[in-house]
Amino acid sequence: MSQPSALLTNGLSRRKFMAGTVSAAAAAPLLASRAEGATPVAAEAKLRQPLVTSLRINNQAYELSLDTRTSLLDALRDHVGLTGTKKGCDHGQCGACTVLVDGKRVLSCLSFAVMNEGKDIATVEGIASTDGKLHPMQQAFIDHDAFQCGYCTPGQILSAIGCVNEGHAESESDIREYMSGNICRCAAYPNIVAAILQAREETRGA
Amino acid sequence: MDAAAPKPKENMGEPLPRIDGRLKVTGQAHYPADLPTANIAYGALATSSIAKGKVTKLRLDDARAVPGLLDIVTYGDMDKLEKPKFGNSGATSIGPLHDRRIFHDGQIVALAVAETFEAAEEAAQLIRAEYEEEKPTATFDSPGTATIPAAGRSPLFKEDVKAGDFDAAYAAAAVKIDQRYSTPTQHHNPIELFSTTAYWQGEQLVVHEPSQNVTGWKVELARQLKIDPAKVRIVSPFIGGAFGSKGPMTPRTAIVAIAAKRLGRPVRCVTSRMQAFGTQTYRAETRHRIRIGAGKDGRITAFAHEGWEVTSRPDPYVVGGTSATGRMYDYGSVLTHVSLVQADRNTPGYMRSPPETPYVYALENAMDEMAVALGMDPIEFRRINEPKTEPIGKKPFSSRSLIQCYDQAAAAFGWAKRDPEVGAMRDGDWLVGMGCATAIYPTAVAPCAARVRLTVDGDVRLQCGSHEIGTGVRTVAGQMASERLGVSIDRISVEMGDSSLPPAPVSGGSISTASVCSAVLKACDAIRTKLYAAATAEGGPLAGSRNAEFELVDGKIMAKSGASAKVEDVLKAMQVGAIEEYAEFAPKGATPEALKKLYAGKPEFHGGDQDEDSVKYAFGAEFVEVHINRYTREIRVPRIVGAFAAGRIMNTRTARSQLMGGMIWGIGQALHEATEIDRRYARYVNRDLQDYLVPVNADIKDLQVILVPEVDHAVNPAGVKGLGELGNVGTAAAVASAVYHATGKRIRDLPIRIEQLLV
Repeated sequence: MSQPSALLTNGLSRRKFMAGTVSAAAAAPLLASRAEGATPVAAEAKLRQPLVTSLRINNQAYELSLDTRTSLLDALRDHVGLTGTKKGCDHGQCGACTVLVDGKRVLSCLSFAVMNEGKDIATVEGIASTDGKLHPMQQAFIDHDAFQCGYCTPGQILSAIGCVNEGHAESESDIREYMSGNICRCAAYPNIVAAILQAREETRGA
Repeated sequence: MDAAAPKPKENMGEPLPRIDGRLKVTGQAHYPADLPTANIAYGALATSSIAKGKVTKLRLDDARAVPGLLDIVTYGDMDKLEKPKFGNSGATSIGPLHDRRIFHDGQIVALAVAETFEAAEEAAQLIRAEYEEEKPTATFDSPGTATIPAAGRSPLFKEDVKAGDFDAAYAAAAVKIDQRYSTPTQHHNPIELFSTTAYWQGEQLVVHEPSQNVTGWKVELARQLKIDPAKVRIVSPFIGGAFGSKGPMTPRTAIVAIAAKRLGRPVRCVTSRMQAFGTQTYRAETRHRIRIGAGKDGRITAFAHEGWEVTSRPDPYVVGGTSATGRMYDYGSVLTHVSLVQADRNTPGYMRSPPETPYVYALENAMDEMAVALGMDPIEFRRINEPKTEPIGKKPFSSRSLIQCYDQAAAAFGWAKRDPEVGAMRDGDWLVGMGCATAIYPTAVAPCAARVRLTVDGDVRLQCGSHEIGTGVRTVAGQMASERLGVSIDRISVEMGDSSLPPAPVSGGSISTASVCSAVLKACDAIRTKLYAAATAEGGPLAGSRNAEFELVDGKIMAKSGASAKVEDVLKAMQVGAIEEYAEFAPKGATPEALKKLYAGKPEFHGGDQDEDSVKYAFGAEFVEVHINRYTREIRVPRIVGAFAAGRIMNTRTARSQLMGGMIWGIGQALHEATEIDRRYARYVNRDLQDYLVPVNADIKDLQVILVPEVDHAVNPAGVKGLGELGNVGTAAAVASAVYHATGKRIRDLPIRIEQLLV
């Protein structure tokens, strides 16, 4: 694991990083200086100190005080109040928590919030126009009844947008393959494929 | 035409888009764990690491030292409360914190509550139990099982049905089979995690939890907490998939409620995916022995179906699908027997088509084997044995369109092009197989209440304590009001999923559309009656006309004579701003106690095989094409066609989606889903979505749903048969039939896996 460097390259300033030695300790206990005489227990205790983290979500800036272990998913849901992003497994196995980070699909349950400083995060709440017009992918999901219970839907929609932008929606079989990280237990799969085909062109332009 | 919105045929409603669609695609549909709650504390469960024994000591010191830890609820903290009850609203009688005994692996031993989710999880993982351990019994064939007859153990399974003299008929039959089949343990795995959020407002308890049964839970939770049910409110506006898993309440709910009370602040506990395998219900593994005897003409003369189902030690959970399989065809003689096999497991529970999925799988796989033994086309074999009355009580079917389903599905599938010879069809390196099977699901209905208000502005507000688990019940209830009141669907708001609303039955057994729509119909008709009375009263705009000659269209009362009056004007003349009607629907044959029981959360079910006049079922036929790689034996399902008849179809879009989802569930039953059990420890092994396989997008290719028109006025006032659990019945047998056709291998134990085809 190379968390400290990841933290640094992810936009945390060196100064912030050093000020929050707690986070360094959290990420790599080896860095906790034994010369300072800190016992492992003390380092552990400090580990739970919150870290102030700046996130840009749906073009809005948020400053959050977070336990460094907080996933991006829990930060969105519990700390920002954007509950559209769903927790289905917390293990990166179901896709319900998919968001776009710098335009690419990311499983927000497998990403610590603090790793996302300075990045552009898009969630299902932020993809419609400000005038209320739905994103073409959202409209296509309604048109093709591409959901039943609706729980996996935010993740499916973000994943579908990512899939199109990656160039993995060129054929129906490609769509099926590259959308297979998003489980729909109600099994709306054929309708999801139809929705992506409908919204493909407009999504490329969006 | 868009495949998702089939053109309505006779007795079918318009394919309106879901009225909550916009909320669902914008992230504004709030599932229970999404509902904003201030000052929340987080709970995490600690669960047992053994399946049988006793907790002798619980070490909490490490957990208590976690910064941010607020409380731990464990043994001793629930003693003054009532234990959970097993039944309609209760998943199990095991009160995990009432009793230090361990009945199954993954049993709750404590709830840690902390300021943050992370701290709660950390603390829960530091809780250490010490045990007095006993050797657990895992499943069939494990040492220590106890086998008991199922009949009479559950109000849902009263008897082993039988007819005629099976032994004599079977002995005399010219062609016969005697085979055994099995289905595995399965977990529902809705994508929404199980969760409870509880808070107290003085003496009033509010619980946000995904539920298929808010009224039943209100009553059961109040009983456990020894408080007035009026002081409990269950809120569940959207449910992220249920499939039966959110029907009965589990012991966690009361534990979280107590944590909230002790802390004086809201507590939310979201169960991990792994913990759900042991703390929620599941579909137990089943075994079957089927004997069929027939003459050389293909007429069945003898049918026997014996079933064995695993359950927990304390609770006699039974599905008993022989009630349906024993009535499926014109058998002549029928013998059935169901046994429960008790093991050290959590109590099983309803999972999509609980009796029919395993039992009809066994029956239909056997029917296919029998057709092969007779050298008959499997559709022809079923046609020959189509009954005029059901063989047990000799009652007529209220309607039965099975043969129409077979004919339409066979035509769409291209069955005529199938070469019946085993292994005769190829597509490059792929062996091609085609198979079919029957789907059946009982049509039941239960009492239900609804409140409908029509305002002078032309808006309609509909309230009913049913549950939107993804079936589209909100949409079809709104559609019913739209049709009866002549109001556009976009002027109708529908509130559901709250125990403070008029009570509805559990959203299980495919009864919701029939029950809810019947109640909405009754409320709307009461509003119509008031409108007509006012319009036709002396001095009214339609004075002198008779009620029967009216329709409500586009906000107007239209008389056959051509005269019309605006609803708005009628309400103004009545000097009211709105007409509101509260309707209580009770099905035909309901007992005098039926409505009282609805409010008590114990609704009566009617229909299925329970009525005097007829038996009531929905039917379908499913056709599957499989491709099996000749080298690797990889199994794919490139094509599946299902035709279904289910009385009045309220909305062809939502109906098709449910049937489609069911058929894909059926493919999962056939090829993917199985919870593996470590027999040494009676422990589920594959407790996550990586190792518990469910169908994904790449598993499904061409899928066609055919809605076969059917009219049935006997089932309920709405004329609706449920179809949420119809689509996944029979599918696995159709796949097994196709696999046999491709390979000559008859697979009788689900799921069908590559390794079974390699040997």
